[in-house]
Amino acid sequence: MSATLPAFTDLNATWTFIQPGLEFILGAQNDQGVTSTMYMNCYTAVYNYCVNKSRRGSTPQSIAQNSDNNSYSLAGAEIYQKLNVYLSQYIQHLKKLSTESFLEFYVRKWTRFTIGAVYMNNIFDYMNRYWVQKERSDGRKDVFDVNTLSLIKWRDEMFNPNCEVLIEQILNLIEKQRNNLIVDTNLISSSIKSLVYLSIDPQDLKKPNLIIYVNSFEKPFLKATMDYYSRESSEFLLNHNVVDYMKKCETRLAEEISRSNNYLEEHTKKPLLDVLNGALIEKHANEMYDQFLQLLEQNQIGHIQRMYKLLSRVPKTLDPLADTLENYIKKEAKIALDAIKKQTMTNIEDDNKKKGNGTVEPKVYVNTLISIYNQFNDIVIKAFNKDTKFIRSLDNACRYFVNNNSIATPKPRSPSKTPELLAKYADGFLKSSVKETDSIDMNADNLMVVFKFINDKDTFEEHYRRSLAKRLINGTCKSDELEESVIHRLQEENSIEYTSKMTKMFSDMKASEDLKLKIKQQSSNSTIVKDFNPLVLAQSMWPFRHVADYDLKVAEELQEPIEKLKQVYIEQHSGRQLQWLWNHGRAELKANLSRKGKPPFSFTVSNIQLMILIAFNKQKSYSSKELHEIVGTKKETFEAHLLPFTKFKLIETSTNEINDDTIFTIVDEYKSKKLKVSFISAIKSNESKIEEDEATKEIDEARKTYLQACIVRIMKSRKQMKNSELINEVMPLTLSRFKAKVIDIKRVIDLLIEKEYLKRLDDNTFEYIS
Amino acid sequence: MMSPKVIIVSSDSEKFPVEQKIAEKSILIKNMINDLNPDGLTEDFEIPTPNVRANVLSKVLEWCEHHKNTVFQDDEDEDAKKSVPVEEWDRNFLKVDQEMLYEIILAANYLNIKPLLDSGCKMVAEMIKSKSPEELRKTFNIVNDFSPEEEAAIRKENEWAEDR
Repeated sequence: MSATLPAFTDLNATWTFIQPGLEFILGAQNDQGVTSTMYMNCYTAVYNYCVNKSRRGSTPQSIAQNSDNNSYSLAGAEIYQKLNVYLSQYIQHLKKLSTESFLEFYVRKWTRFTIGAVYMNNIFDYMNRYWVQKERSDGRKDVFDVNTLSLIKWRDEMFNPNCEVLIEQILNLIEKQRNNLIVDTNLISSSIKSLVYLSIDPQDLKKPNLIIYVNSFEKPFLKATMDYYSRESSEFLLNHNVVDYMKKCETRLAEEISRSNNYLEEHTKKPLLDVLNGALIEKHANEMYDQFLQLLEQNQIGHIQRMYKLLSRVPKTLDPLADTLENYIKKEAKIALDAIKKQTMTNIEDDNKKKGNGTVEPKVYVNTLISIYNQFNDIVIKAFNKDTKFIRSLDNACRYFVNNNSIATPKPRSPSKTPELLAKYADGFLKSSVKETDSIDMNADNLMVVFKFINDKDTFEEHYRRSLAKRLINGTCKSDELEESVIHRLQEENSIEYTSKMTKMFSDMKASEDLKLKIKQQSSNSTIVKDFNPLVLAQSMWPFRHVADYDLKVAEELQEPIEKLKQVYIEQHSGRQLQWLWNHGRAELKANLSRKGKPPFSFTVSNIQLMILIAFNKQKSYSSKELHEIVGTKKETFEAHLLPFTKFKLIETSTNEINDDTIFTIVDEYKSKKLKVSFISAIKSNESKIEEDEATKEIDEARKTYLQACIVRIMKSRKQMKNSELINEVMPLTLSRFKAKVIDIKRVIDLLIEKEYLKRLDDNTFEYIS
Repeated sequence: MMSPKVIIVSSDSEKFPVEQKIAEKSILIKNMINDLNPDGLTEDFEIPTPNVRANVLSKVLEWCEHHKNTVFQDDEDEDAKKSVPVEEWDRNFLKVDQEMLYEIILAANYLNIKPLLDSGCKMVAEMIKSKSPEELRKTFNIVNDFSPEEEAAIRKENEWAEDR
């Protein structure tokens, strides 16, 4: 190129001077490269033309018009127009080689052209800086910097006329790649990238705009993807099982995600995933559901997890899976629980003489519940990634089978036995009399798991409190710490209110201990009572009631400590009444009935039995009538407590049939291999049956009271309410304790109407009476 | 190893070897180095500047050398930039005869060195500021080619702008 710069006034000379340089820059003529001299000469020629033209006015007209006041205007329009025409012609004359595809041609030329466009942009920098900027800020949005102009020319002259063939070839290449053929990925990425660069917003050159990319490429691409995978997945499933299909999906998804990272704009990622999820997963969710049950039966955690991960890409497809899991757990639980019930029945038939009474042992029952829970909790953790949907399925299923099963509800409508069995289970590991080996797999953790699921929490509380009361008064707690920790956990799981009675029971025990010490300090040594353990129990907290049948006459010898107790206690709490629960508690006494030289016997007896034996200190024989008068109590009770003595031959009778005149005589020398003898367990009583009835009654009463309180509270604030509204409001309030039945609520409403808390306005509406 | 130098050649063929960093204060040169050496300079690189004479080029390069570590803010807020006075070093640097000042401004425009162009233009603006027409004619060596009538007419037209 000549180093002599052209005359700056001459547009044609200037253009003729720079055009060969542009040819080099755009890579024509074998792409020989550009020298710095060539570069600077072109820049300088454009600069000189623009600067000097501007000084003299940009057009002949403006010179004529403005010659008077020497006005100044920027030059550039004409050389810009020259460049515009030149670029069109240049692009139109690009030639495809016969050996290459259109896509190869397009990418090869595009790659070179865009490099050249950047050069040109710098060569025309002076024009960009002044003329283009001025035009654009004056509102000429059809004038662009040279780089953008080049892209627009490419769009108009190359892309637009060839759009269809280009896109088709890109999509073909992508399909080949999906078919695992080796392709030149640069062709895909460069051509797609070019569509992004060509998406120019003439109004705002800085604002990214994907209009060409989206309309020309993204739409057909998504459609092609949908078609491809709809076809492939259906064909694949004809010849393969679901597990293989899921693996295929994983591979395909990974491939497509990596492809979209390599070639595609962020904009496409979401719609692409939607298309893939639709074609691969949603469309074939049913096939996966069908497989799910089998995988559960085979415990194929890995495959279940695989299915979960795939389906979780389309969250709504998880719902049927969660439902299936819930039903499956219920079914498995039923099978397991029916099996242990059957096992128990068979054992009873096999060994009819054994004490078994046809009920499943609490330990076996609870351990079965726990093992089902653990089995599926494990699956929820490992396969379902602790997804709340599946935790809910597990909870729902557990709540169902824990409360309703062939053991808990042998008859469909009867109240569930689970709370009672769970309380017995708790007693099993909290009671010191149970052997360590028998309670080894029982613990508070299991208790709490089942507790969480039982509906009738109040029933559990009643039974648990009864067994706790027995452990406390009989001194059979294995550990106070363990007892307290269980109560603490129940309180945390439910409420402070829930455990308030039990907490009070513990404080009664402590207070009684203090009381005992006080009495001991004040007692004389002359009494025959060596030790005295009074327990003062608050009436409504403990599950014990005073029973008149047991009211006995305390023997004179035993009066002293009892009087002391009354005195000390009343001093502390004046106005309180003490009632004696003679049916509870027991006595230990020494009996000097051994052969000479042998240590005395130690007898464990009930309070009534104690009074009977004390009487024999005075004389050897009594008639039945005399003895009953000494002891007091109801006659049947007296006889029931006397019976063990005659049965174990401590007392001899004058007649076989006992009547008022039968003479009872105590033996001189008692024969027994053991030194310790208990006469309590042989007392015949129907206490356990009574107790069960009492428990049921107490639960019913407590529920009624609770419902009354709820209803009154609601009505007090709402004044008037419809029947159905009221029931709907009451129901959820009871859930932390029990599941209220509509009929029970209705009964309580009637009761409140009777008590004049409420009034019926019409068939359907109630009003609160203040 | 010495890093390669950029050798800038003036229109009168004098060579100025400078650090790349200094030469690149000119956006023109910076862009060209980038375009022609996409992988960076590996050897000395000669650049002709057909529009700049040696005496002007040496002044411009002196400015570039001084400002080689200055970070000029490339802000969009043109108005804010306009009101900033010329900094002390530039002011002293540009205390040259008028002819040289104009040459420096032209070279800064040609080489695309915006901060130098701004300083130069501000210096000229200060020369105009607060001067009467007579003083301006003297400063810029302009012959008064208005007739007294014309001058009176113009004065009347612009009466509203008079500072009273």
